[in-house]
Amino acid sequence: MLFQLDNVTKTYGQVTALDALSVAAPNGAIGLLGPNGSGKTTMIRALLGLISLDRGSGSVLGMDITRQSLDVRRAVGFAPEDECLFPHVVGVGFVAYAGELVGMRPYDALQRAHEVLDYVGLGEARYRKVESYSSGMKQRLKLASAIVHDPKLLILDEPTNGMDPAGRQEVLELARDLTHNKGMSLLFSSHLLPDVEFVCDHMVVLGSGRLLAEGNIQELKQVHQQSFEVRLKADMGAFAQRLEAAGCSTTPRDDVLVVRISAEQSPRMLWEAAAAEGEQIRYLRPQRSTLEEVFLAAVNDGAEHA
Amino acid sequence: MPIFDQGYQHWSGQLAGHAWRWLAITRHGLRAALAGRWIRLLLFCAALPAILLAFALAMWGLLELKSDLITSIMPMLGFLDPEILAGPRAFRVVIWTICYSYFLRTETSFAMVLILFAGPNLISQDLRYNALPLYFSRPLRRIDYFVGKLGVIVALLGSVIVLPSIAAYLLGMMFSLDITILRDTYRILLSSVAYGLVISLSAGLLILALSSLSRNSRYVAMLWIGMWFVTSSVAGVLEAVNQEQRFHQARRAAAAGDALADEQAAAERDWRPLVSYTTNLRRIGQQMLGTDAAWDKIAKLQPNVRRPRNLRFVRGPQCPWYWSAGVLAALMGLSACILNFRIKSLDRLR
Repeated sequence: MLFQLDNVTKTYGQVTALDALSVAAPNGAIGLLGPNGSGKTTMIRALLGLISLDRGSGSVLGMDITRQSLDVRRAVGFAPEDECLFPHVVGVGFVAYAGELVGMRPYDALQRAHEVLDYVGLGEARYRKVESYSSGMKQRLKLASAIVHDPKLLILDEPTNGMDPAGRQEVLELARDLTHNKGMSLLFSSHLLPDVEFVCDHMVVLGSGRLLAEGNIQELKQVHQQSFEVRLKADMGAFAQRLEAAGCSTTPRDDVLVVRISAEQSPRMLWEAAAAEGEQIRYLRPQRSTLEEVFLAAVNDGAEHA
Repeated sequence: MPIFDQGYQHWSGQLAGHAWRWLAITRHGLRAALAGRWIRLLLFCAALPAILLAFALAMWGLLELKSDLITSIMPMLGFLDPEILAGPRAFRVVIWTICYSYFLRTETSFAMVLILFAGPNLISQDLRYNALPLYFSRPLRRIDYFVGKLGVIVALLGSVIVLPSIAAYLLGMMFSLDITILRDTYRILLSSVAYGLVISLSAGLLILALSSLSRNSRYVAMLWIGMWFVTSSVAGVLEAVNQEQRFHQARRAAAAGDALADEQAAAERDWRPLVSYTTNLRRIGQQMLGTDAAWDKIAKLQPNVRRPRNLRFVRGPQCPWYWSAGVLAALMGLSACILNFRIKSLDRLR
């Protein structure tokens, strides 16, 4: 188990940031989703042992988050959301200093800093003052300083915030490479669904400090047995009218038609309707929920239960 | 080519324990401080009084030995009482104490300037660049952060106060060629080292607290100058006014008793030196070194010579040492409270 929280509650005055949250995540790449103010950052701080819990307990990599918080932080690499820098140092000094703070010897930290800067693509800028870095470079620098000691778990809090598309893609590819090819577990907090979908295999959805949904992303994006996406060679209008006349519901979406049939009907009727209209079906597959639909369903469900 | 093609290597080295984690912050702070040419220049200049101290102690050792080397400079020692020159060994502790007292007084000034250049950035820059989350999300406690930052000041001040004191002591001992010097003067060495630590801790905590008050290190530098110069100036003005009043009162009551004794008694009750931060440090230094006793022994050699009116400039402040210790302790407590209040952990909503 990568981490586990049991009935964790955390309040700040009148604000309940985590509300009896219980969640367990397996090794791998975990996406932490939720709207703003849903408790993502507080959950990360709880995992790192940075906050005192009102109630509940938890563990990360088998270590208790309250009693072994320093050990947890030593085994975990964390890149915070905010723009934060150790001032007046060059890039390689920044990363080496981050390594020393974790407990690496200065020589090891410096050597390792060069390696990880090459890895994140900042090799050419390693001797530049970090204040002169662009936003994307700063994000990659934070990533480098989080992985300098080769942590077992990497936590990235909103790593693509405020980045241009190219920079965002680079960070996402790095995160994906670390977790899929280098064996590092990842907790990737974001409210950008495509980012999470690109990087992660598993996701946890929070809302108002509570767990709204969790599971394998592919499994959550369930296949609908009575709903199909259909694309035709020519006009879909007449085809849709024929299906509706037969009791199906149709919804055009992008270049496909989403057709929902009733339990008594068979997908065969789609072929029959196309043949009757003299159309060719070029694409037909059972409809699968998008991550956005899964997320919105979870959030709406959470709002109804609140 | 995707950038990750350059590869990622796993690292299997050992991580150190938590006990010395603060040392990384101190090391980093020192590297940053020593990158500044003004600080390097100050450290160089601060070595000059140490060289003078070492020279004075070495000369005294030669004088005790009646060495031929010293005869050429004997005329330059005419300001010393003949009794001292006749039996220098009997005045060894007195002279060493006074030499160390002047050395420490000079180095205290250097320490204040050094802190002015090295101190303001320590925390204010971290606040300005929002570096605290980077520290506290690593295996560091707040106390590690504070100790690490304080270590920068202790290391810098140690290099201008403690290390030169020890080096000069060893040099003076070597030139005396007398093992009894260790018995006579070890208290001076211990006092110097302890005084260096008192300055480092007091001034270090104070500058850290000031540094945590603003994100702009220029404002912090101004606060420090205020703490150092303004309090000294205010104390000086208050003392001068008070002394002038006492002087006129003494003139009006010309027949009244021993004016010098009255002045000494008044100085011992005077609270005005406490306004000055550096005077409080100096008063503690005097007490630790035993400077007053050394001056008293010198004064007994010339009982008929009237001591100057302004005792402060010759002997230093005369208020009770525990008043100054109380002021410094209160300042340290206040500094710790400010640090605790200003440097929060990440256990907050935003």
